[in-house]
Amino acid sequence: MVACFGLIAANLHAAPIIPGLEHKNPLTESQKGKVLIEELRCTSCHEGMSKPNAAGPDLREVGSRIQPDFLKKFIQDPAAHDPGTAMPDVFGERSAEEQEKIATELSAYLLSLKNEPAKPDALPKDKEAEGKKLFHEVGCVACHSPQDDNPDAKALTGHVNLAHVSKKYHSTGLADFLHEPLKVRSDGRMPDMRLSRSESELLAAFMIGSETATAKAETHSPATIAAGKKAFTEMSCNACHKVDSSPKPPLIPAKAKLNLNAGCLSLTPGKAPNYQLSDVQRKAIRAALTEKPKNPTPAEAINLRLTQLNCISCHQRDDFGGVKPALDSYFHSTEEALGNHARIPPELTLVGAKLQPGWLHKVLHEGETVRPYMITRMPQFGNAALDGLTQLLGEVDKLPPIEFKPPEKESKTQMDNAAHQLLGDQGLNCIACHNYNGKESPSMKGLDLMTSYQRLQPAWFDQFLKNPTKLRPGIIMPSFWPEGKAVQTEILGGDADEQIRALWHQFSLGRSARDPSGLRAENPELSVTDQTRTYRGRSTVAGYRGIAIGFPGGMNYAFDAQNGALTAIWPGKFITVGWRGQGSGNFTPASPAIQLAQDVAFLTKLPEAWPLRPIRTKEAPVNPDPTYPSQHGYAFQGYSIGEKGAPTLRYRCEEVAIEDTSIAASKNNTLNRTLTFTSTKAISIYFRVLSGTIESVSESSFKIPKLQLNLRKSNAKFSNIVRTAGSNQELILKLDLPAGTSKLSLDYVILP
Amino acid sequence: MSFFPKLLIALVAIFPLIAIAEEVGERWGTAERERKYYRLVDLPIPKNIVIEAGAFCDLPDGRIAVGTRHGEVYFITGTDAANPEPKYQLFATGLDEIFGLAWKDKVLFVTHSAELTKVSDTNNDGTADRYDVVSDAWGYGTYHEYAFGSKFDPKGNMFVALGLSSSYHSQELFRGWVFKVTPEGKSIPYASGVRSPGGIGFNEHGAVFYIESQGPWNSACSLKFVKENGFMGHPISYNWYKYAPNMGAAPVEPKTGSSTLTESINIPQLDPYAVVFPYIRMGRSISGFVIDKTGGKFGPFENQIFLGDYTQSIILRATTEQVNGVWQGACYPFREELSTGLLNVHFTPQGRLISGGTNRGWPVRGLKPYALERLEWTGVTPFEIKRITINSTGFNIDFTKPLDPKTASLPENYRVNSFTYPYHQGYGGPVIEATDAKVTQVAIAKDGLSAKITLDKITQGHIHEFNLAPILDRDGETLVHNFAFYTVNEIPK
Repeated sequence: MVACFGLIAANLHAAPIIPGLEHKNPLTESQKGKVLIEELRCTSCHEGMSKPNAAGPDLREVGSRIQPDFLKKFIQDPAAHDPGTAMPDVFGERSAEEQEKIATELSAYLLSLKNEPAKPDALPKDKEAEGKKLFHEVGCVACHSPQDDNPDAKALTGHVNLAHVSKKYHSTGLADFLHEPLKVRSDGRMPDMRLSRSESELLAAFMIGSETATAKAETHSPATIAAGKKAFTEMSCNACHKVDSSPKPPLIPAKAKLNLNAGCLSLTPGKAPNYQLSDVQRKAIRAALTEKPKNPTPAEAINLRLTQLNCISCHQRDDFGGVKPALDSYFHSTEEALGNHARIPPELTLVGAKLQPGWLHKVLHEGETVRPYMITRMPQFGNAALDGLTQLLGEVDKLPPIEFKPPEKESKTQMDNAAHQLLGDQGLNCIACHNYNGKESPSMKGLDLMTSYQRLQPAWFDQFLKNPTKLRPGIIMPSFWPEGKAVQTEILGGDADEQIRALWHQFSLGRSARDPSGLRAENPELSVTDQTRTYRGRSTVAGYRGIAIGFPGGMNYAFDAQNGALTAIWPGKFITVGWRGQGSGNFTPASPAIQLAQDVAFLTKLPEAWPLRPIRTKEAPVNPDPTYPSQHGYAFQGYSIGEKGAPTLRYRCEEVAIEDTSIAASKNNTLNRTLTFTSTKAISIYFRVLSGTIESVSESSFKIPKLQLNLRKSNAKFSNIVRTAGSNQELILKLDLPAGTSKLSLDYVILP
Repeated sequence: MSFFPKLLIALVAIFPLIAIAEEVGERWGTAERERKYYRLVDLPIPKNIVIEAGAFCDLPDGRIAVGTRHGEVYFITGTDAANPEPKYQLFATGLDEIFGLAWKDKVLFVTHSAELTKVSDTNNDGTADRYDVVSDAWGYGTYHEYAFGSKFDPKGNMFVALGLSSSYHSQELFRGWVFKVTPEGKSIPYASGVRSPGGIGFNEHGAVFYIESQGPWNSACSLKFVKENGFMGHPISYNWYKYAPNMGAAPVEPKTGSSTLTESINIPQLDPYAVVFPYIRMGRSISGFVIDKTGGKFGPFENQIFLGDYTQSIILRATTEQVNGVWQGACYPFREELSTGLLNVHFTPQGRLISGGTNRGWPVRGLKPYALERLEWTGVTPFEIKRITINSTGFNIDFTKPLDPKTASLPENYRVNSFTYPYHQGYGGPVIEATDAKVTQVAIAKDGLSAKITLDKITQGHIHEFNLAPILDRDGETLVHNFAFYTVNEIPK
């Protein structure tokens, strides 16, 4: 009966799948055997082979991820429930009853490790399409079969099975795993795809549906759990899986003469773990074991690692690896015009001579990326999997080194100018296809050239520029220095090496490099939507302590908080803001503005000449009146945001508190301004409303070019004074404020 | 000047690339080793927002407030998550270049170019709706006139440092001054002579300090004690003394080409700069700083000062002590390869160091236009010079791990030399008066964690450079960073 089951199983169960071994790899048979020995963790039990293997999945919190029912079945017969798994069947020749019993005990023990009940399953609903899209574009299909109707992809072999996933995981458990896979599998064989939490949930929902019925875990007696704990050690589960601090089982000593047809390598492993090895796999392992042990050369070590981690499913190196034709259609770019190199991950041929070691480390270990347009992501495999790879690549990949000498002091300006010209639209127009220094190219947004100095090694940079397709076959990057001769013959006398050196130096400058011509961008515009928007910054229309206020519908004004005056009004678009260079945040009205006076607007005494704001000039740069206008009684106090975002500005004129609220009238050419005064005693104050060429329309209506001012109402007595001030006139209101609160309303009407 | 060529040779021997190289300065070259002890984790920023962080502060609910150069304040959740995906809630907008944030009684105090503003959410909808001026006692008339705000001192005072006009002049009221703003909202002129501050706060002993950038009257960046009624070294802002009667008359003009030590004798308002950061080798534009009060969560440097550098995208350490009533101390390299120009640093509730900034406007080594990054201790203790303090005949050097007795007990393995910079009107300044000191004696503490070295001479007014490359710990490891600099203003009597 048992033997019979074994036979059937052997036919039904797939052999373990190591994807890299089934792809175009450079390994010899014995090297493949070596990979199998490591991937199947043979060294967890056997002494004297290879280096210590990577840790198996961490089972300490397995109960929070995996359905209890699946866990038990999987332990009992791994390959039947997850074809292709590297987990062996460890039950050997035990009876079905015994298997059932031990599997129950083991799963009871593992589930008992994590007492926290499974989290309520809450994944996004009706978003399977988004999850499906993610699955097919971020790179899952490099190792797992596509889950769509593509017949070519369906026929692919050597991909890690996912059919069991919906039975295996709690939905949030799967999302947790996808979000931080290295937490459970530190070996990186399921790498971190840099999925956000919400992406992990979308992907989980796609793979198992938004809700899974979490089977209620059976409650097990302490005796069953204790038996499971015992079995876990007795059956050497702890050789691969960490659950507690108990020591690993002793290794099986290496024999002087190996029997390569017995134990795990036997067709009928008997008591030994059964990995369901294929004949090819057995042969490879035997080849590795019979070969005289020797350390792989650095080049071989790279080949082994790239195959083991299946880097080769996306990256080509020398004549191996690369995206399988059936998977090509799953690799996309947002910059299609940049060709295949913008969507297919870069070749790794000579990568150790191409990238600076520090940069390679950042890419491998810190998720650094310079190709925002490439949709497929570079996975993170974790430190255990990648240990030493950067150094190996540096050792093996070599180009004859060159050194770019920094420009001599006397030629520095010339070099800078040359690079500036070469990069811009008057030179080689590199910025037509490349972003530059954090700024987007006006056309194709290829990788930021400014990263070159930090990323690339000089020799690769030099050779690549002189012959791009030699180092990156098929790349659309043109050669501007074919056979080492400059196409651009005017700049630096057409000396190719000098031009390339100038570019290298320019890239070393980082942010201090000038923008090439053709890259200049407009200042971004701030727009107003359904809420009134308040923005502070320097402005020629409102001084350094300027405040711009824009209303929905297209009416705007500016207030100078330094001097306490409403200084500009404009209909139409709100403002543009400068976000470039050292100074920033300065605003400019985005539509033509009517400029009003920028001097203090309220005084408690009327002087013969209204005190005007100090003007600094190039000749006299120090503020000649540095305490203006506080010596005239003005103090800005702040503002409060009211209904629909409209601010009420607060300031004082001596002891009078002023609240200043403007709103856009329903007609878009008018601003209604209400001033509320609070004073403990009756007092007269003077309000300079307008200055310039003033035309009196009526007692309460005045015009200056493009603007009419209508005094609407006041509960304070007021009288007008229009007087001459130099070559101008000024309209001053004298307000006799009562003790307590009083108001003045006025309209600013923009004339056609 | 006669010593200069000698020093140059010494420097070239240690840093062969320093004389040539890129404009932002060469790297320490220690990144690979640093990674093992301090891991750098990116805190992603959503595509539609720009966070050029200029200031941080903790909120009572565990969130962190970040103020930006765009004048916005975001409240961030999730900065400590293993795989961080922080959530950013926009709290306030419309401020102007934020370089100071502090929280008190449900109100956020924001120091920005225009003002010190109290920002509050009176209707509790999560967004600020009231902005009250606390202080605008200073003029503002060139874009470079940035304002930096401290946190509160125990008495509730806040300190605001005001940069010069275009970084050279003082064309508006009180540019180049420090203000104390009291809990009652009074703004009191506190010190003059600031040039281009990068941050203001408190040292590990609670005294007010600010960080100054190299430039006129400052040959290198330095941490300076902000003395009440003090003069910070740059005399261009003397013109405002008449507006600050509490400060008395303007100090005597410093003599250009002198030293801060000599001038501090002539000018009682001036203290020699407490910790000088040798230019390029220890930063070029040091910015915000913070004290490690994480209780060991960030590793062995508890109660030390951590500082970001804008140009070189690095983080430095510093320690201070008061000797004969004068502040002085040491600076140490800590971590390089951050991604953008750092404007400020801040510890999270879990004891990780967040840094942020921009690379806009000035040369920066880091390539990202802006970034938030988290530096976390991996739990592995690096072998580092922990702290250097002075004694009457030499220095005490504390280490983070026990010393190998063989290499650490040889006096010749402690290479000490000293130099200084001129105190002058010109921008920056050369290394001068370079001289070698000889370590005559070493005594290692019983626990192996510190070495007391005796020197043949200590030169007052000099920055003492320590190179301890040959010294190993008990595991045979070399120091992650084998050099440090101590500024000797006073020798203990």
